[in-house]
Amino acid sequence: MRQPLKLHSSIALSALGVGAFLLAWEALARSGVVPAGLLPSPSAVPGAFLAEFRSGTWQAMVFASLSHYLSGLALGTVLGITFGTAAATWGVWDAFQAWVVRMLRPIPSIAWIPFAIIWFGVSKSAATFLIALTVFWINYYATYSAVRGVDKDLIELGHAFGQGGLIPRLFKIVLPGALPGILSGVRAGLGQGWMTVVAAELFGISGLGARMSDASGLLATHIVVLYMVTIAALYGVCDFLFMQVQQRVLAWQK
Amino acid sequence: MNGAKVNGSAVIDLKGVAIGYGAEAPPVLVDVDLSIERGSFVAIVGPSGVGKSTLLRVVAGLHTARAGAVTIHETKKPGHRPVSLVFQDARLLPWRRVAKNVRFGLEGLPISTTEREERVAAALRLVRLDDYGRRWPYELSGGQRQRVGIARALAVDPDILLMDEPFGALDAITRHGLQDELLRIHRETGKTVLFVTHDLEEAVHLADRIIVLGGSPARIVQDVRNEPGRESGGFREQVEQLRSGIADNYSI
Repeated sequence: MRQPLKLHSSIALSALGVGAFLLAWEALARSGVVPAGLLPSPSAVPGAFLAEFRSGTWQAMVFASLSHYLSGLALGTVLGITFGTAAATWGVWDAFQAWVVRMLRPIPSIAWIPFAIIWFGVSKSAATFLIALTVFWINYYATYSAVRGVDKDLIELGHAFGQGGLIPRLFKIVLPGALPGILSGVRAGLGQGWMTVVAAELFGISGLGARMSDASGLLATHIVVLYMVTIAALYGVCDFLFMQVQQRVLAWQK
Repeated sequence: MNGAKVNGSAVIDLKGVAIGYGAEAPPVLVDVDLSIERGSFVAIVGPSGVGKSTLLRVVAGLHTARAGAVTIHETKKPGHRPVSLVFQDARLLPWRRVAKNVRFGLEGLPISTTEREERVAAALRLVRLDDYGRRWPYELSGGQRQRVGIARALAVDPDILLMDEPFGALDAITRHGLQDELLRIHRETGKTVLFVTHDLEEAVHLADRIIVLGGSPARIVQDVRNEPGRESGGFREQVEQLRSGIADNYSI
């Protein structure tokens, strides 16, 4: 059996792991085994950050990507939860849309890039569309499963106490009961959304992905790494903040 | 069969009620003619699968009888529900604190917020959980959860309190404590109680009338008056009489 670690031991070991990884990377980059253009050293990243920050490029790219991300995330989440709830609640609607869902679901969001550019041009709207599409499916399935999994006894309770009508049943029993599953979907969407941000921007829509694409074309790999770290940090912050909200909203769970 | 007397103040009338599951399956319970007096405490007993809980659900309007008529003679007071139900598993909404669980049945009734909160507080007081309103259901013991279920049912000021083996999942000490609490609540509120149990001693301890279901398909095989309380002189004899009545009509 694995023994659980104490919190401070766990933090110390995590920090040690990250430090060892950076040191090994730095050593490899300085050894000359790999050309500097192919593998930048991590020590080059802070300098790249300062240069990008002073020129205002870093802030502009972060702002642009956040703008695509948040609008796509909001749109995909709201629509995914709405359609997932509708399909899980009404059998007729579920049957009507089941095969449309089966046909569309396997198509990855990036396969829609040509259409996104045709419909919206190389614009913020195109990025928002692609991110929303990714986030939509995650939330659709998470919500569908969560709503279908709501305890039927609680639905009966609603009927017994005059809350069996569609609106009270939905808002007082079904959605609160499905909330843990729905929030898991939202959280998964937070991560997948960032992946799509980069994919969408690699095609020229202004933002972190576009800047990485430009920098790689010039073999400025230290700038590529800077923006990789930036994406990781932004995702980390989003996920951390969401977890705080999730813990408060689900305080009723043991 | 000791025919129970029915006076003019019946609160529930069942006439020729038959119950089944699915249109094709044979009925499990037939020919139920039953009139329940206002303020009485009626226990329904019988073997598993005889349709006790389903009969309760028919009265609650959660299950449709295959035949017959169910009439609830409700008092036409504003801001109440004619029937309310206490389940075996308490069935609290885990995302609502205790007070909000008690408030659940009051939502949608035409009463002011002040009255609603007063009724929640009064119901919690009645089950002796005055200070538990801010707790989450997971912070309660099994007995406390069941008390909240009773408070929720009483808060809507029902004509009839339907109880479906409410103490069946509790340990013996908690069960006996809650049985005495229920007798006190019945005395204080004067509510009509229809109580399903498979425990004959519980039925004899609590009810002033006991309906025994048996046979296949099941029907009412005994309808007896009872003096509630474990200390009553005929407690043991009454339990034995019910037990033999069930055994005579029991088929597997």
